[in-house]
Amino acid sequence: MRARAFVVPGVGLAAVLAGTLTFGNLNDNLVYYLTPEEAISRHTAASDGERFRLGGLVQAGSVEPTAEGVEFIVVGESGAGGVKVVHSGAPNQLFQEGIGVVVEGEWQQDVFVSDTMIVKHDEEYRAPETEAEVDAP
Amino acid sequence: MTRTDRFLVPAAGVLVLAGLAAALAAPPDRLQGNLQRLMYVHVPAAWLAYLSFGLTLAASVAWLRRRHERWDRLAASAAEVGVFFTALTIALGAIWGKPVWGVWWTWDPRLVSTAVLLFVYLGYLALRRATVDPVQRARRSAVFGIVASVQIPVVHLSVLWWRSLHQPPTVLRPGDPTIDHVMLAALLLNVVAFTAVFAVALRLRMRLARQDAELAAATTALGRPLAGSAVTVPALTAAAVTAPAVKKTIGDRT
Repeated sequence: MRARAFVVPGVGLAAVLAGTLTFGNLNDNLVYYLTPEEAISRHTAASDGERFRLGGLVQAGSVEPTAEGVEFIVVGESGAGGVKVVHSGAPNQLFQEGIGVVVEGEWQQDVFVSDTMIVKHDEEYRAPETEAEVDAP
Repeated sequence: MTRTDRFLVPAAGVLVLAGLAAALAAPPDRLQGNLQRLMYVHVPAAWLAYLSFGLTLAASVAWLRRRHERWDRLAASAAEVGVFFTALTIALGAIWGKPVWGVWWTWDPRLVSTAVLLFVYLGYLALRRATVDPVQRARRSAVFGIVASVQIPVVHLSVLWWRSLHQPPTVLRPGDPTIDHVMLAALLLNVVAFTAVFAVALRLRMRLARQDAELAAATTALGRPLAGSAVTVPALTAAAVTAPAVKKTIGDRT
């Protein structure tokens, strides 16, 4: 059987690949961002300066413009956690209270210092209801 | 032009115009404003990528069962059109992503899985070019077309399986679509319009594939000498007819 020469190594390779992806715990590189709870629980003095992405919602009432950019608090989907983010650079067009963000940066003591911000919008699309909303970009 | 073309081409034109009008008439999104209108081209392009590779899967299975060239041509043509629409989806997604997310590209599971989808089907097209024999090419690419289709659900469900920046499905999800119903109507109209354009493109590509195969068959026969052409007819001279020795040698050889 000529086909067997290909099928047996092929299946073996697929099994190894699937096993690595499932149980290999590839140093968490497959996780696109950490939630605020995870970021807090993994934070140690030694981990200061390690870059990762932090994703969550911008807490209402926490946004404060600074000279370099903006400061705000990121909370998890359930409202838990609460990480103070000091972002340098212009915030995105859609950045606002209550919206999802993914910021990239590192822990510096108790604040998360970020230099890259991505706004994460949800799967809801609604027509504007108030005059202020009509002026969206 | 066949009768189907005479109906399909104007229908696709009318649908595209209607879709464009609907996309411009639909209300802007509360949060994203007019940027959200990119949805009316991004989502249909992604849907056609799924549909094309789904057709490649179905045609590959059909070829393996029936061994009719037609199925192989359908698989190849659908894959080619699908590669175009996958690339279009990525490009339109980048154009949407830059103003809304703030980045053209990020290593998000949905984006990465879609890029892998594109490259694997480019590999499918490369495999077809690398194999000369038509039957062997059909068999190899049918197997490839079936295996590669595993990616379709992976791409679609990537936003549910892994944490991603790309939002989860709005329409293809259990329950009521989380979208304003006027926007949904405009979106569905554009999906139908894009599908009509896809049907025209696919039919043209399949016709081209058939003509290509016919041309290849004709030119292969043209360039090669006919079997037995090395044997020349012996000249019938008076000597040859009368000499029995010639006849005898021929008889011995057989």
